[in-house]
Amino acid sequence: MLGNKWVVFVVALIVWAAVFYFIDKSIMEFQGLPVGADLMPV
Amino acid sequence: MRHTHLLALIAVLIAAIAPDLLLAATEEAAAVLEGAPKPSRLDYPMIGNVSARTVVWSAAQMHLFLAAFVLAVPLFAIATEFMSVVTGDDRFDNMAREFMKITMAAYSLTALVGGGLLLSLMVFYPDLMGYMVKVFRGQMLIYAMLFGLESITLYVYFYSWDALRRGNRKYYHMSIGLLLNTVGLTLMFIANAWTSFMMSPAGVDAVSGAVTGTVWEATRNPLWNPLNLHRFLANIAYGGAIVGGYAAYMFLAEKDPETKAHYDWMGYTSNFIAILGFLPLPFAGYWLMAEIYAYSQQMGITAMGGILAWLFIIQAVLIGTIMLAANYYLWSGLMRTDRGAQYAKYVKYIAVVIVGGFLVWLTPHTLILSASEIQNLGGTHHKILGPLGIMPAKNVAVNLMLVMTFLSFQMFYRSSRIPTVSWAKQGNMLVVALYVVGIVNIVGAGIYGYITPTVYKVGASVPQVVSTLTIIIGAVVIDVFILRGAKAEKVHWGRMTERSQYALFVLPVAFTWLMGLMGYIRSSLRTNWHVYTVMKDNSPENYIPTLGDAGNTITAITLGFMAIMVFVFWLSRLGQTKQETVEDAA
Repeated sequence: MLGNKWVVFVVALIVWAAVFYFIDKSIMEFQGLPVGADLMPV
Repeated sequence: MRHTHLLALIAVLIAAIAPDLLLAATEEAAAVLEGAPKPSRLDYPMIGNVSARTVVWSAAQMHLFLAAFVLAVPLFAIATEFMSVVTGDDRFDNMAREFMKITMAAYSLTALVGGGLLLSLMVFYPDLMGYMVKVFRGQMLIYAMLFGLESITLYVYFYSWDALRRGNRKYYHMSIGLLLNTVGLTLMFIANAWTSFMMSPAGVDAVSGAVTGTVWEATRNPLWNPLNLHRFLANIAYGGAIVGGYAAYMFLAEKDPETKAHYDWMGYTSNFIAILGFLPLPFAGYWLMAEIYAYSQQMGITAMGGILAWLFIIQAVLIGTIMLAANYYLWSGLMRTDRGAQYAKYVKYIAVVIVGGFLVWLTPHTLILSASEIQNLGGTHHKILGPLGIMPAKNVAVNLMLVMTFLSFQMFYRSSRIPTVSWAKQGNMLVVALYVVGIVNIVGAGIYGYITPTVYKVGASVPQVVSTLTIIIGAVVIDVFILRGAKAEKVHWGRMTERSQYALFVLPVAFTWLMGLMGYIRSSLRTNWHVYTVMKDNSPENYIPTLGDAGNTITAITLGFMAIMVFVFWLSRLGQTKQETVEDAA
């Protein structure tokens, strides 16, 4: 129905990676710890 | 029906009035300007060679064990009772009643030990108790009143179970349960205020200790809420572990397969409750520790960088034991379902992660070394073990252990359900990808801690926690959709090995030991102060005992409590035993 399960897996990896990146960046900045696009301290 | 209406009315009135009573006490004007007492060594009554500290320590710890259990069980008893209403399954109701039955047997012992604690405090530390009464004034009377109310609601809740079991009466019964839990939690919060006040006093003059603020100011001292959350979660986990021990005891003792099946199910549910309370516990612990550091850096360093730091290694061993025992029990549970064997092949990988995490967690950072050992090592830190002894590695370890424990639960849950939705395989891939990315993120945030400044290292522990919670919540949500309309397979409750039940015994023993150990650390942080920086302890025992002495005392208290628990389990079983009639015997 949603296509090959491995295609779903790869897409899911990318989507989850984006979700966790967003979470990490938001939490660090919320704590007053500015980070760059690579999540390293600026 | 009239008496049930009356009970409900009383319940509502008390629930409405209780906060007002508390506020009335808190708004009381502070008028006592006399400083905190400064007792000399002679002001501490001596009774022969009795160690005042050990007596009070033992009574306080024993009271806490019992109270934690007695307060926690009604919390999940009412949740289980609610499940019976939602599902219409009487098994939940019977189990909730059985949970309460164990509590009833322990309740009077809780009060008894509490009374013993109060008396021993008044006998051995009269000046401290006098000061505490000055600070908390009417709140202590409210505590006594609430304790009376707790007794009434507890007895009414338990003894009205069958009288208020069906229809609308059930809601009256649950209202009484709700009131019982409200009173129980309020009692705990009040007692926590006294304890946390001794660590981080508020509402008093910082130098003289004179009472300058209201009772409420003293109550909401800096460590009150972190302690409230930590104890609330720990109580749930502890209560679950103890009733799990009871279920294992009954499982092993019973011969009838149907009864064994019931206690197997009870053991599984209790283990679930224990782990549910345990999963967020490390995070509550971090918050408490962070607040301790924020309140007094010296206090934080005493805990984690001084003499008490080594006890955190023992803590790691005990928590690792809890994790291994809980997971072993879950893996054993796979044999209850016919499809469980399909999942058993993954157990070895989970075991590797949990054992690995366990080893990292108990790795000490600073070793106690002789000069020649330091020379051989080329420094005070081992080149591999040293980096594993600091928090980024330990944060990775604990988060991965929690994720793997959740995975063990998920495997058992799935082993009795066959998805019927057309996108089940793709849905599984969503879950697998969530685990993969989440775990990479947890490990990555750990490595990040080694290459960034300290403040970022500490900050990165929050995304790790959130990653763990995201994996758990995400997997639950996806599973809800994948398993919608799933074909349920039979769970053969009772089809468990006897050795798996010993894992359920390990949990309450390790939890009790752990609570005794961590309670000792928390209390010792005051060092030679009764009330930190405000009222000095000048008693002959105002020093931190050696680790060995402390360990022996904690172990003795743990053994004492386990003996009490075995007695309580035996009493509960005795209550179910009926003597055969002459005809039966014939």
